[in-house]
Amino acid sequence: MIRRTLCFGALLATLFSSSCIKDAPLNPEADIDSFIVAKSQLTSDPFIDQVNSKILLYLKQSAYENGVVPRIVPVPGAKVTPDPGDTLKFDQSTGLGLTAYTVTSQDGRYHKTYTVQVVNIGVWAWDFEHWVEQSPNRYMYPIEADSSSIWSSGNPGIAIALPSNQKVPGSYPLRDTTDAYHGSHAAVLETRGGTPLSSLVGIRLFAGSLFLGVFDSRFGLTNPLAATQFGQPYIGKPKSFTGYYKYTPGAVFQDKSGKPVAGATDSCSIYAVLYSGTTRLDATNIQTSDRIVAMAKLPDGGAKANYTRFNLPFVYYRPATSQMMLAIVMSSSYMGDQYQGAIGSRLTVDSLQIIHE
Amino acid sequence: MRNILTALTAIIIASSAGQVMAQEKSSSFKPFLEHRIVAGFNFGATTPMGFPNTIRSIDGYWPEFSPALGYELSLRASQKWGAAIGVKMDFKGMGTKDKVQYFHTIITVQDGSSTGTFEGTFTGRNKTIARNAYLSFPVSAVFTPNDNWRFSLGGYMAWKFSANFHGDVSDGYIRNGGPTGEKVIVDHATFDFGNEVRNFDIGFQGGAERRVGKKLSVLGNLAWGVRPIFPDSFKGLDFPLYNVFLMLGVSYKI
Repeated sequence: MIRRTLCFGALLATLFSSSCIKDAPLNPEADIDSFIVAKSQLTSDPFIDQVNSKILLYLKQSAYENGVVPRIVPVPGAKVTPDPGDTLKFDQSTGLGLTAYTVTSQDGRYHKTYTVQVVNIGVWAWDFEHWVEQSPNRYMYPIEADSSSIWSSGNPGIAIALPSNQKVPGSYPLRDTTDAYHGSHAAVLETRGGTPLSSLVGIRLFAGSLFLGVFDSRFGLTNPLAATQFGQPYIGKPKSFTGYYKYTPGAVFQDKSGKPVAGATDSCSIYAVLYSGTTRLDATNIQTSDRIVAMAKLPDGGAKANYTRFNLPFVYYRPATSQMMLAIVMSSSYMGDQYQGAIGSRLTVDSLQIIHE
Repeated sequence: MRNILTALTAIIIASSAGQVMAQEKSSSFKPFLEHRIVAGFNFGATTPMGFPNTIRSIDGYWPEFSPALGYELSLRASQKWGAAIGVKMDFKGMGTKDKVQYFHTIITVQDGSSTGTFEGTFTGRNKTIARNAYLSFPVSAVFTPNDNWRFSLGGYMAWKFSANFHGDVSDGYIRNGGPTGEKVIVDHATFDFGNEVRNFDIGFQGGAERRVGKKLSVLGNLAWGVRPIFPDSFKGLDFPLYNVFLMLGVSYKI
């Protein structure tokens, strides 16, 4: 009986594993995997926003004015037009690359066109007046006066887990609000519950988050803390981080498995981190990395019914280096990185500013 | 499929012709009924017909514990020809490990009253364990050339009474929406499609028996399902799967 089983199993295995496997399908993917620019021209690593087909470049002033020669690596088998080798120049007022790159998949059926955008923060002060709705996921994000985008949030991660009929701006944790301290708009961060898909990976709560940086969707499902990458290139020495906020914690604080925790109250977190290097830190190491140079942190994240001013001095731990990045991170649940908090906690922020030495 | 249908029709016609001829030659033969208990194990797979090119390699295959137990009633209409009908409890199980590339899938998740769907193309490793149990009714034409051998060919209808189709995907990524969607790394995720398996299976079956004792025979019977185990509305896999299992066992005439 056992011998018969083994013989038959071996026969089937050979049958299935040998000539039954057809030739590999042609690659239908059309991504740019890497966009490489000489490090001497960069203030921070390039970021490929695969969701929006945008390549974000952080260039030194001379590279921005003269253009750069990129090396583009698409997915295996795909072709890039125009063939990169010519200098890529930028519109000097908007930072938009004057060449867009179109990738055609190996099987010829799919295309993706990438635009290149130089990101430069001129003034480190934000009033959150201009907002754009992302297509097709319909979440809101703030933009600068020159239409560039330097703030990110957990919204792209939630978009992966939301059913398409629920993709409306109101479903997402970060939105705009007209309840402003100054001007017409402010940013509101609200902790929301998980979705059926997110509970597949153990996420039952999405804290509202707003941070300077990017969202790398590759890690959105299995390592969401690595997906939120904090910081933008910074020159100078920051003295303090100021702004206005108000906060209302949600009614029931729940733990990671969704069970209510008696007696616990949610609180918000607002902090800024100055760190060295050109590679972004993320939610796994932003408060613990040995690259941290200075930090400004809100000491008490408790409830504040009305707009309250905060003025957080930067405390220096290490000497500054030549290439640094500054991150501002805000969350409506201080334990949101462990998926604990109260659904409905609301943090509203406006008129943020970094005061330099 | 059409070849099998032609072969089946040919055999049924031949068997009826054979019956008539037999009746003319040996009119002393009286038809009689036989009862048999059939027991054995199923070896096979819930498999696609021809591998789609999205399956890049089969890294492992093993039969799960799949017993079969049934009863068969047969009518020997003439010396060599007859028909049989049976009822069988059939466990059909297997496990497999494979690598897939650009595999299109739509996953639906139920959580309380709300449903979430996720569509994308997956590249990576997969391990699947399928173990479905059916109450099966095989119907066959039977040819008995001599005292030692017995051949049967026909079809079966089966009703599922327990379904199990689960596994995990790992070491890969899924592209959200389709091939140009953003890449989302999947280092480990599980799936369970047991609720989606169809209740009714139908197919062809044929077998051979060799007598080894006065009432005991050893047998082999291949059952080839022709109906995909998942309905068309199910899009978790981008190719259909069929039950193809060989039963090896014994039959005992009672």
